Amino acid sequence: MRWATVLLPALAAAALGAAPRADAGDRYYYLGYGVVQVIDGATDTIVADIPVKGAVRNVDLSADRKYLYVTSNRHLVHKVDLAQNRVVATADVKGDGWDRVMYGFVLAPDGKTAYGAFMSRRAENGEAIVGRPVVAQFALDTGRIVRSVEVPWGVAHLVGAREGRTIYAFGQDLYTIDTTGPDLRIVATQPILDKGMNMLPFWDYTFDNGGVASMNYYTATAMGVMLVDQKTGAIEDLVLKGDPAMAYSVVLAPDRKRAWAVMDDLTEIDLARKTYVRSVPVAEGTCYGVNVSSDGRKVYVAGGGSTLTVYDAKTLKPLKVLQMASDGMDLRRISF
Amino acid sequence: MKKKRIDALNEKAKAIQRLADGEQPSAAALAERRMPQGCTTIFDTGWETNPRPTYPVGNCQASARDFHGCVGDCWWPAQMPDGLTNHREFDVQCPNVARDWRNLKYD
Repeated sequence: MRWATVLLPALAAAALGAAPRADAGDRYYYLGYGVVQVIDGATDTIVADIPVKGAVRNVDLSADRKYLYVTSNRHLVHKVDLAQNRVVATADVKGDGWDRVMYGFVLAPDGKTAYGAFMSRRAENGEAIVGRPVVAQFALDTGRIVRSVEVPWGVAHLVGAREGRTIYAFGQDLYTIDTTGPDLRIVATQPILDKGMNMLPFWDYTFDNGGVASMNYYTATAMGVMLVDQKTGAIEDLVLKGDPAMAYSVVLAPDRKRAWAVMDDLTEIDLARKTYVRSVPVAEGTCYGVNVSSDGRKVYVAGGGSTLTVYDAKTLKPLKVLQMASDGMDLRRISF
Repeated sequence: MKKKRIDALNEKAKAIQRLADGEQPSAAALAERRMPQGCTTIFDTGWETNPRPTYPVGNCQASARDFHGCVGDCWWPAQMPDGLTNHREFDVQCPNVARDWRNLKYD
């Protein structure tokens, strides 16, 4: 019976000449160490383990929503087939004699390349050679660098916008990179650190939010939320009133009027009023990642440690705690 | 003239000092910036150390839950395994710090 359940849809899809798709509903992808675990949003149970090499960091979703690209150990890029829940290809951005680490990763619209922010090094006659930091476009099948632009030190995250024509590179400043010409060019620089903003933009939930990156930051007195609309490239900066909640990450509620933030506490934010609504401590401890169901009824916190906690969004009572296979970096949602 | 704060005591340190003779300052101490600076030269995580009323220090609770995040990206490299250079397979040996820490073997 179980085999029939698995085989029949696959055979039907093959007969139609189409690649099988993941079942409808919310799927959560727990980004762990040596593994990505898949959680079914209807039952809140782990339904698949996807072995991957390394410590998972960034992910991006292909335009057809069939593949999740997962980066790990800051140099590997795994292509995960979301219908089969397995890695089907892996590329390494190290090459041509350079040891590279990649902070920030976004897919290019061509489906064949991606952008990363790279630091690089190599040894020459016993001496360490440190390359200039760059944002580079590279081939997804080989990891080979196609083109690059030098950027100041400290770029830690990338957000793609305007159908890939613009890449925002977040470091101590925000650099706008134009990708439309033969060469990548920095066309604008906006201060971040010099405006007194302190940012750790590792979590942005762009595809989970339906095309809006959400990243929080701190000034000496407040927390702010920076929103980047992928379609228009518009950046909205919301400074929240009141004592800052401490948070690693912020995800938007489906109506985009509210948001959820997490670190040691799970905090609800009213984006329209720019205020905090309520907050509860996370009993399991610090979490890096937060997500919300596509109907807005459940909130998920995970990563940091090896737990995933499901909350009722209305009562903020924990509904379930899952023990995951490893510690984790983030929890991402894809709605099929 | 700024007060000299560090003295070279052994031969290696003196050799490094000789190498630096005549050099002009090329870097500023992070603490001199007007924003709180954190554990890395990449950018700032200093906000994590903000004190708050309910805990003595505003760091991660428990600290083990922050361990892998720091190892993998080489935060706090003096205090934690350096996951980018010297301990690249740390996650294989210890995927869950609270459960697997006994597996760690260091010289």
